[in-house]
Amino acid sequence: MSNFQIMKLEYGACVEALAEALRGSDEAAFFTAVDHIVRMREPQTITEIRKLTGDLQKALERFSIESRLADIAENEIPDARTRLTHVIKMTDEAAHRTLDLVEQSGPLAERTSREAGALIDSLKTYRERPSGGSGFEGTVRSIDAFLPVVRAVEAFLPSARTDSEQIRKNLADVLLAQGYQDLTGQIIRSVIKLVGELEEALASLTKLSGDVVEHATLGENPDRGHGPVVPGVTRGDVASGQTDVDELLSGLGM
Amino acid sequence: MSKDLKFLVVDDFSTMRRIIKNLLHDLGYPNVAEADDGKTALPMLQAGGFDFLITDWNMPGMPGLELIKAVRADPKLAKMPVLMLTAEAKREQIIEAAQAGVNGYVIKPFTAETLKEKLDKILGGGK
Repeated sequence: MSNFQIMKLEYGACVEALAEALRGSDEAAFFTAVDHIVRMREPQTITEIRKLTGDLQKALERFSIESRLADIAENEIPDARTRLTHVIKMTDEAAHRTLDLVEQSGPLAERTSREAGALIDSLKTYRERPSGGSGFEGTVRSIDAFLPVVRAVEAFLPSARTDSEQIRKNLADVLLAQGYQDLTGQIIRSVIKLVGELEEALASLTKLSGDVVEHATLGENPDRGHGPVVPGVTRGDVASGQTDVDELLSGLGM
Repeated sequence: MSKDLKFLVVDDFSTMRRIIKNLLHDLGYPNVAEADDGKTALPMLQAGGFDFLITDWNMPGMPGLELIKAVRADPKLAKMPVLMLTAEAKREQIIEAAQAGVNGYVIKPFTAETLKEKLDKILGGGK
């Protein structure tokens, strides 16, 4: 039976009751029949209005998500890229600054150690020298033998002091160079927030459109490598450390 | 073991190249050149004069694994000792690198002792 035939059956009786009431000028019966027809039609109309409202609401939500997404894509993603590039630049500068200071300090420490070693040797030679005899002449010989040691100490101490001061200053600068972590941390945190927002907007959009999204696989080329292991992100069988790598390779006969 | 060996260190991060260069210097190998990816490294290697290659894996341009395959495919370079120094830690990758012909595999972050141990082993010092 078609929809219209069903409607004919449902409404037919009402229309007949309505016609009967008109013919008989029965006001009460007329209104009863009209009310009945209106009630029959009502649920369908309400459903349609509800659907329209729902569609309108979805369209509005979609519009607001889409304009937020457009804003993210147009402004915030390029911003985030610039910010992350800046992070690389800052970490690079801090690492080079630290390496500069370490490279500068190494030879200073080496020189102090070398000169102190030479001094220890001179003192040893002095102590182990053959006896210069007793009396005044012996004392003079002893002083003569000690003089070069004194001169060496005199030469060593100021340079040891300058070198140590420089090393201490370099260490303080190494300490300061680590300040990058605070700044890069803040920038990275803001990018994490943006990624979270983007994720949320995309998820809402997917939910609104009701599409089932297949998980897209990135066109990843394993030959290029995956980068460092990130706990909670890196999947698959990962070596836990150098010992693990060594065991794996020796298992392969290396 | 000869300390005149000439090393080529390939890594896209200049800080890492500097760290490796410093460590090699401390180990008594002052002769070190640098390249920032496989594409730059390969012509340098082919031009000759290098005795040892230390390479990262994940680099723009030509990655380390591709560089190693190219080195092993070149009759002049096929026997060059190669140490892979990388953050790549998946077992399948380590196996792949071994199959490509690396002589050693060190994962980052690494220590000076690990580097020394691997170099000694590869160079036959073993001490």
